Amino acid sequence: MEKGFVDPRAVMAIRNLELRARVIVEGFWNGMHRSPYHGFSVEFTEYRPYSLGEDTRYVDWRLYARSDRYYVRRFEEETNLRCHLLVDQSRSMSYRSLDYSKADYARTFAATLAWFLNGQGDAVGLLTFDERVRDYLPPRHRRGHLRQLMLALERSLAGKSTSLGEPLRRAADLARKRSMIVLISDLLAPIEELERHMGRLAAAGHEVVIFQTLDPNELALEFPRATRLQDAESQTEFYIDPEAARVDYQRRLQQHCDAVERICRSLGFDFYRLPTNRPLDLALFDFLRSRGRRGRVVRRRTQSTAVS
Amino acid sequence: MSFLSPWFLAGALAVAGPIVFHLIRRAARERTPFSSLMFLRPTPPRSERRSRVEHIVLLLLRCACVLLIVLGFARPFFAKDIPLPQSASGGRRLIILLDSSASMRRAGLFDKARAIAGRYLDKTAPGDQAALLTFDNQLHSVVGFADWAAWGPDQRAALARAKLATVAPGWMGTQLGVALTSASDAFPADSGAPQARVIVLISDMQEGARLDGLQGREWPPNTRVVVERVDAKTTSNAGVGMMEPSPRAVSVDDGAHVRVANSSDSTKEKFRIAWTGGASMDVYVPPGQIRTFKAPAPPKGAASARLELTGDDEPFDNTTYYAAPEVQDVTISYLGADSPDDPTKLLYYLQRVFPSAPQRRITLEAGLALRPDAALAVVPGALTGAQCAELRDWIAAGKTALIVLTNADAAPTLAALLSAADAQIAEAAGDFALLGQVDFKHPIFAPFDDPRFSDFSRIHFWKRRRWDMPPGSQARVMAAFDDGSPALAQVDVGKGRLLVLTSGWQPSDSELAVSTKFPPLMDTLLQWSGSARAARSQFRMGESIPSPAAAGAPVQWEKPDGKQTSLPAGAAYAGADMPGIYRAQWSGNERAFAVNLPLEESRVAPLSQDELGRLGVPLGADAQQVATTAPVSARQSQRAELEARQKLWRWAIGAALAVALAEIIIGGWLARGAGDARTAT
Repeated sequence: MEKGFVDPRAVMAIRNLELRARVIVEGFWNGMHRSPYHGFSVEFTEYRPYSLGEDTRYVDWRLYARSDRYYVRRFEEETNLRCHLLVDQSRSMSYRSLDYSKADYARTFAATLAWFLNGQGDAVGLLTFDERVRDYLPPRHRRGHLRQLMLALERSLAGKSTSLGEPLRRAADLARKRSMIVLISDLLAPIEELERHMGRLAAAGHEVVIFQTLDPNELALEFPRATRLQDAESQTEFYIDPEAARVDYQRRLQQHCDAVERICRSLGFDFYRLPTNRPLDLALFDFLRSRGRRGRVVRRRTQSTAVS
Repeated sequence: MSFLSPWFLAGALAVAGPIVFHLIRRAARERTPFSSLMFLRPTPPRSERRSRVEHIVLLLLRCACVLLIVLGFARPFFAKDIPLPQSASGGRRLIILLDSSASMRRAGLFDKARAIAGRYLDKTAPGDQAALLTFDNQLHSVVGFADWAAWGPDQRAALARAKLATVAPGWMGTQLGVALTSASDAFPADSGAPQARVIVLISDMQEGARLDGLQGREWPPNTRVVVERVDAKTTSNAGVGMMEPSPRAVSVDDGAHVRVANSSDSTKEKFRIAWTGGASMDVYVPPGQIRTFKAPAPPKGAASARLELTGDDEPFDNTTYYAAPEVQDVTISYLGADSPDDPTKLLYYLQRVFPSAPQRRITLEAGLALRPDAALAVVPGALTGAQCAELRDWIAAGKTALIVLTNADAAPTLAALLSAADAQIAEAAGDFALLGQVDFKHPIFAPFDDPRFSDFSRIHFWKRRRWDMPPGSQARVMAAFDDGSPALAQVDVGKGRLLVLTSGWQPSDSELAVSTKFPPLMDTLLQWSGSARAARSQFRMGESIPSPAAAGAPVQWEKPDGKQTSLPAGAAYAGADMPGIYRAQWSGNERAFAVNLPLEESRVAPLSQDELGRLGVPLGADAQQVATTAPVSARQSQRAELEARQKLWRWAIGAALAVALAEIIIGGWLARGAGDARTAT
């Protein structure tokens, strides 16, 4: 685990999802001012010199203390960001080799993003799915919305299989305006199916960030002895000798992940792999870094489009 | 090691079970959920030698558990501890213990018991030593071991059977505990290696049997008791027993109380009690209970009467007898001329300490003339020489007298009564004295031998006389003052006894008369004098009846069946072997005594054998096993006894439980370890 970040096991020990998200975000903000990555934020663009008559609430007093000049921070509400969080709740997400499952981790991360974005004034929506859409909350930024979102995330797993087609289609239909779509899933589905449905999102012009959550044991395939493994979704089972099967398994998994990453790159999506033992504030940092880079990229694309 | 049930050893094949299950379990399909198998290909299972080694401990424990259980069921024992092998011709010691108590008088019961005893006698082997004993409230020998040994082997069974035919049930109660322990002690000592000792108890095993002496008794290890219970055809039995008359009752007319006991297995609860030729009444007694009733009015004027109970099935305990208590006339001779109204004199207190009771009329004769028929003579001081001689002769004839040394002038009188030349009596100096020592073993003080009543130290003796007994005196000091001088002493004079009190009980001498100790002390003294004992009129079977005449002509005793016996006066009658009215005649007097069955004998419901087992009686195998003398069966019986004594199966089962516990602990630990390993990766 990376030094200086909160151990996810400690965070996951907190039972309340909202509190978990709050702990991560506040910890993140506290670290922000000491961080070398100072200045990154959702839709944070620039400091603007204070003009007489402006609301003094937006003066950055810390910067004033340092530079003795008045600057105003330009916040994201000026950009009207709408974010859709797509959270996979399928049965395969219930696998765990740690004290918590992939689904727990994904929910917490989604809650963290929601808390963070809501704190910045963004409209956050949620779409949970397994083989079909389970819950949908349109992006809003109003009182009580975050609470509803947390409740939707806390609902237990009910699905059996994973089908990205229907959820991604629905997300594309529902997000008519250009939005940011964050997909949190293990993406353990045939690569052809993934490619087909992701392409639809890209065509709609949305900004897409994909987090692939995987259990450490899914990467390592460590079992103490030969055993019968049972597929969480299809219930098929067969005998596995981990020693013999590990190399082949890791190779094929790596091929799958590489293929997913390649598709994401080709579609202009940001792709991050999130082993469930990765600190959540680090994952949040990945997201913000993506936003920073994405903001510049989008701007360039927009400019080039305007020029052309 | 040998086995009593070796066929159970076949169960050892069950050890294959754990082995097979263990192997199956190794290949068992232990399912582990996984997120997706899309990147996995099935791999055939490999033989895991390491896993097999890990579980070998569990396998061994499970096999050991099965084998230990099998071992326990096979009932192992060590044959080396078997006592000397009995030959085919026998060699055991057998006591046939036959119940001859009153409850065996029920219809057909004793015949059954006799038949069982005869069967045992017939099956004795030539090498056996046998004895035939009967018991009721004590043990009676019919055929002893010595008789058995003296007879020829071919004649023993027949001769013993002949003796058995003469045995009949009596009227006594059942002391089962005493009978068993006495029978156990009746075995002759083993000359060499211990021999098997078998007591065959043939009894109705009634619940009213007394089991005294069985609790905590150490039975010899080679002794077994085989119980042969005989059951009556009917179960409804109730008995009636007469209670002791009230101390105020002086005749049958004063009423009597009876107790009616109903057996716990009885099906009836309504009975009728009736005096012979008199009134009757119905009584209700639920099964298993004993209730007391006031009997109806008996026939007028009878000195004795008979009460019968009807309504149950067994008649043996349906009759009880009542004899009216005797009214005693007791005379006390006070050899003094004191005024009875003078509170400074002894007589004043003496006539108040002996109140008359309904069954005892006391006459206190004061004067200088001695009443020859007096029970007790009290001498308050000096007497003349003639009086002394008369009194001494009277005492020597077996009477009791009390001389109170009210002053030192009584010395010549005391000397004369003791036939001594002189008696050293002087007024004691000092303020007052207390009783320092009291001999509570003396019958007069025995009733006070209890911490609640034994405190005599509060009685002050203001004036007393010091009696220096001559060396070698035979006087027994019953109480002594705190300076060691005698307060009350007993001197035997001829057949009688003279008590010497060295201080008076009147207030000028002491506080004795106003003490709470005075009335019981004087009453005890009067009873101890022998002529004023409380006369009982009701007795239970087996008790001796005290002679109604202390001295004089012989007493003629007549039993209920008319048989007569003459006993000297004072000799108790011990021949009460049947219930009824016993009559004693002497010197023109006649007195009736009632002898009844103990009421416990009416409780005839069978006693559970478990009760004997709970009391530690070494109950043996069933009758057929013990009675048979076939060599194989005898051997088997002996093996069974040996196994029952060693009880190795308990150790085997205990060990199996311990192994099972260890298996559970180790298995749980291994399973938990495996679970932790799975979740940790």
